[in-house]
Amino acid sequence: MRYLRFSWLVISCLASPLVAQAQDIVASPPVDVSVTVYRDPYRDEGGFDLNYLGGFALITETRRVLLTPGNHNLRFEGVADGIEPASAIVTGLPSGVIEKNRDAMLLSPSALVQAAAGQEGRVSLTRTDPATGNTTRTQGTIRSGSDGGVVFEGPEGIEGLRCSGLPETFSFESPTTGLSATPTLSVRTRVAEPIEAIIQLSYLSRGFDWAADYVADRSGDGNIDLGGWITLANGNSVSFPNARVQVVAGELNRESGQVEPIDFGQPIFAQCWPRGSTSDSVPPSYLQFAKGLGDFDDAVVVTGSRVAMAMPAPPATESAAEAVTAIQEDLGDLKLYRMPERSTLSSRQAKQVRLLDRSEIPVLRVYESAFAANFDFDYEQMTFLLRTQNDDEHNLGLPLPSGRVQLFETVGQAPAEQRLLAGETTLRDLAIDEEIEFEFGGGPDVQVRQITENRQMSGPQAPLPLLPLIPLLPGINAGSRQMDLTSRIEVSNARPYPIEVEVSLWLEDGAQMVRADHAFGQKNGRPIFRLTVPADDTLIVRYQTSSRLR
Amino acid sequence: MKLSIAAAASCIAIGLAWIEPAANAQLAVTIYNDNLALVQDKRDMDLTGGRQRLEFPGVSGEIRPETVSLSATGVTIVEQNFDFDLLTPAKLMEKAVGSTITIVRVNPATGGETREKAEVLATNNGVVLKIGNRIEVLRDDGLPVRVIFDQVPENLRSKPTLSVTINGDRRGEKPITLSYLTSGLGWKADYVALFDDATSKLDVQGWITLTNSSGTTYDNAKTTLVAGSPVRADQYRAQQYRPQPPRPQMPQAGTETGDRERLGDFYLYPLAERTTIANMQTKQVSFLDVHGVPAVHGYEFRNYWLGTQEDPVSAKTVYRFSTGSAKGLGDQLPAGILRFYIRDKQGDPQFIGESSIDHTPMGSTLSLSTGDAFDVKVKPVVEKRERLGLNRWRSSMKYSITNASPKAVTVTLQQDGLWGDTRVESESQPSARPNANMAEWQVSVPANGSAQITAVFNSAF
Repeated sequence: MRYLRFSWLVISCLASPLVAQAQDIVASPPVDVSVTVYRDPYRDEGGFDLNYLGGFALITETRRVLLTPGNHNLRFEGVADGIEPASAIVTGLPSGVIEKNRDAMLLSPSALVQAAAGQEGRVSLTRTDPATGNTTRTQGTIRSGSDGGVVFEGPEGIEGLRCSGLPETFSFESPTTGLSATPTLSVRTRVAEPIEAIIQLSYLSRGFDWAADYVADRSGDGNIDLGGWITLANGNSVSFPNARVQVVAGELNRESGQVEPIDFGQPIFAQCWPRGSTSDSVPPSYLQFAKGLGDFDDAVVVTGSRVAMAMPAPPATESAAEAVTAIQEDLGDLKLYRMPERSTLSSRQAKQVRLLDRSEIPVLRVYESAFAANFDFDYEQMTFLLRTQNDDEHNLGLPLPSGRVQLFETVGQAPAEQRLLAGETTLRDLAIDEEIEFEFGGGPDVQVRQITENRQMSGPQAPLPLLPLIPLLPGINAGSRQMDLTSRIEVSNARPYPIEVEVSLWLEDGAQMVRADHAFGQKNGRPIFRLTVPADDTLIVRYQTSSRLR
Repeated sequence: MKLSIAAAASCIAIGLAWIEPAANAQLAVTIYNDNLALVQDKRDMDLTGGRQRLEFPGVSGEIRPETVSLSATGVTIVEQNFDFDLLTPAKLMEKAVGSTITIVRVNPATGGETREKAEVLATNNGVVLKIGNRIEVLRDDGLPVRVIFDQVPENLRSKPTLSVTINGDRRGEKPITLSYLTSGLGWKADYVALFDDATSKLDVQGWITLTNSSGTTYDNAKTTLVAGSPVRADQYRAQQYRPQPPRPQMPQAGTETGDRERLGDFYLYPLAERTTIANMQTKQVSFLDVHGVPAVHGYEFRNYWLGTQEDPVSAKTVYRFSTGSAKGLGDQLPAGILRFYIRDKQGDPQFIGESSIDHTPMGSTLSLSTGDAFDVKVKPVVEKRERLGLNRWRSSMKYSITNASPKAVTVTLQQDGLWGDTRVESESQPSARPNANMAEWQVSVPANGSAQITAVFNSAF
C-alpha cells in the first residue's frame, strides 16, 4: 500500500469546513485507569512470549475535560497503541457522541514530509557547505515524498534529496501538523452549556497477556504445597500509572480480525539514482552484527508489583505467607482476579502477583498407561501423575486457571539437602470439586509391556450359500464368528517401594472384556486395572477379550 | 500549478484544469461491507469548450480505474487515463536519458561551485553523462555533485492521478459528476451489549465502524452505508481444534420489516451529518441504542457422535434474545461483532467475550455464545458399544454434568450425529428431537452439584 503515504498531502490541503468549526480540545490525562488483562485465546496452557503478546486487555480510563458550548473535537491522547478502535466506548458526555475517530498516523519524519509534499513554499532545504560550515536555506516545494525518495523543487530547478553527497535537510514552516505524537482517539460532540465533564473511555487493546504459573513442592510425607503466580505483561508503549489491575480466567470467544495498526512512520528513504561506479566489483559480504550486547531496545523489564516486590519470581523457594494474593470473584461465567492494590503497569513490562498458596495437599501418586487391548508392544515408560481433588478436604477448593506447573522435590538430608526441579506439566482450567491430575513424564524404573498370548476363532464358519441370509437375521447373525484373544500385561517396578498403577485399555468397537486374573473397573467407557506393584518386582495381568467378526 | 507547466508542454492544443476541491464540491461516499465503496464527486467546473484535459489528483489511491465515469451535460469523453508512475529521484534520472541536465560540482576544500551542462547517456546501474566531448560517470570519485533538472516529466506524479480528456460544447461553468468504485473503504457494525445478571436485561448500543485505508481523505462527504455485500469474502480465521461441533447463532430468522431505507435487498444507513473520512482513520457513528431488552443466559453443550472426553469440557455460555420490536432490539442488525460486558463486584463493566453476527433481519432470535463457562462442565463418555448384527449397533452414553457455581443452572445438552434410522432405546430423562439428527435434553444441575444423563442409542453405525 504505497499510496497511503500520500494521504497527508490531501488532508492538509483540503481543510474541512466541519473540522474547522469543531474546536480541538484535549482531555486530561487519565485520572483513574483500570486494566483487565485477558489471555491469548489461541495459546495453550504454557507461558507466553514477551516479544509476541497475543492476549488483550480492556482498558477503562477516567478523564476530565472542560467543555464550552459549541462543536468540539475531543481528543484522548496516549491511548494504548494496540487499541482496537471499533471497541471504544465513551460515556459521560452530556449530549453524546456524534462520531468517534482513531487516526492511525502519528507524527514522524516521514509523516512530516508527506504532509508538506505538494505545498508551495512550505519547506526550505537547508544545505551545509562541508568546507566552510556555512548553511544556505532555499525555499521550495517537496514535489514527491514517496517510498522511492524525495524530490525537491527550488528556484534553480528540481533535485533529489541527499543525492549530491552534500548534507541536506528540510525545515518545515508550519508549527502545527495536525498529527498526534501518541496514539489518539478523538470524539466529535456538541455541547449546549459549559460543563466540566468526567468522561469514561474504555477500549480493548492488543499486546497484553497473562499466565498462571504454579509451583508444587512435594515433601517427604507425600503431600504437596501448591503456590501460584499471576504473570501479566504489557507490550504496549503506553504505561498505566497507579492502575487498578485485573486478569480474567476462562476461555472466551474472540472474533475480531485484523486491526489497522498504528503507523509510526517509515524511515525517510533518501533514495537516488543508480550509483554504480567504474570501480564497482562484487560487494564483499559482511557478517551482520545485528544486535550489540548493550542493545536493550526491545528488552522487557520484569518487575514485581509493589506488594510482591520482595517475592522472587517462580520457582519460588520461600514460603509466601506474607504475600498478598489476588482477590478472586465471579464474572459471569468467567473468573476475575483483582490485584489487591493499585499498581503501575509500565510499558513493556511483565508483572507478577501471587495467585494462591496452599499447603499440605494430599495427593495420590499413580503410574498410568493407556493402550489398545491385545496390541503387542515392548517396554515403555509409564506416565507418572499426582492426583488430588479440588475441594476443601484436600486443602484446595478454589478455581484454578490453566497454566504451567513445576514440581519440586527435596533430595538429600539436611544440611546438604537440595530442592530440585522434578518435572513440568500443565493444568487446564479447573473448577471447584474437579479431579486434578498433574501429569509428568515417568522415569525408567516403571515399565510396561503387552504380549498377546493366544488367539482363538470359534463359532460356525458361514457356508457361502447362506451369506444372503445374514442381514435377515439381525441379532442372531448365523454367519458371525467369534474371536477370543488372551493377552498379558507386565508391569515392572524397580523402585524400592510398592507403587500404584492404572492401566486402561482401548477396546475395539463391539469387543468385550470376558475375564481377567485381576479385578478391573470402568473409566471413560474403558476397562481399567488398578494395581499395586510390589517393590522391586514385576506384576503380570492376564485378560481375555472377545469380539464378533462379521 | 507546477504540474501544469509540464503538462502544457506536451498537450499543446489541450487546455488543462487541475481540479481543486472547491467549496462547492459535493462529495458522496457509499460504502458496502466488503471493502468496496462508490465515490461520487460533484462540482462546478470552468470549461474552456473544445478539447480539454481535466485532472483529478484527489481520487482514491485504490480507485478501480475501469469504473470511472464522468458525466456532464454537453460534454463527451475522449479518453481517460490513470497514471501511477510515481515521481522519485531515480525515475527523474531515468526519464532524463537523452536530455540535458545541469550539474554543480562542489569543491570540498573551498565550497566553490562549478556549473556544467551534461547530457544523460544511460542510467543502468550508474549514471553515464556526456559533458562537452567527455564521458563521465556521475559521482564516480565520490565528490559532491548536485544534479538539477529543469522539469518533471509529464507522467511522473507525486501520487496516482486520474485524468480525463473531454470535448465540451461551449465554455462556461458546468456541474460535473465524477464517480468511481474504490477498495480500501469498508464498514461493519460493532455492538456493545451490557448484560445485567440480576435482572437478565441487556443494554445494546450499535456503532457503525468505517475504516479508510484507501490512501485518500474524503472531505466533508455525505456518507451512506449499505448493509450488504454484492460479493462476500469470508474473513480468514485460524482453524483450531474444537471439542464441540459448531452451533447455529440464529435459531429463528425474523419476519419484521424495518423502517430504514432500502437499496434492493439491502438496508441503507445514511449518516446524519456530513463527515470527513480521513485516510488511515477508523470512524464510528452510533445507530442503535436500546435498553432493558430481556435476555436469557443459558448453557449449551453439543457432543459429536460417539464423543468421549477424557477430561470434562466446559459448556458454552449462551445469551439468547430477540431483535423484534416487542421485547427486542427493534431493528435489523448489520453484520458485525457483538461484544458482551458484565459488571464486576465493584460495578465496572468487564468484557466477557464476543460473537460475530451476520446481517440479521428484525424479529429474529439470536443465540450467541460468548465463550466457555468455567464452572459448568460436561463429560460425555461412550460406556458401551455392542454389535447387534451385521450393521446394527447399540451405544450406551453417559453424560456427567457438573456445576461449581453457587446457583442452579440448566444446561442444554445435545447429542449430534443421529443420522439414518438411529433411535433412542432408553434414556434417563426424556429428550426432544429439534431435528432428526439430534437429541436434546434440558438438564437441571443444582448449585455446586452434578447431574447425569444416560441414553442408549440403536444405530446402523
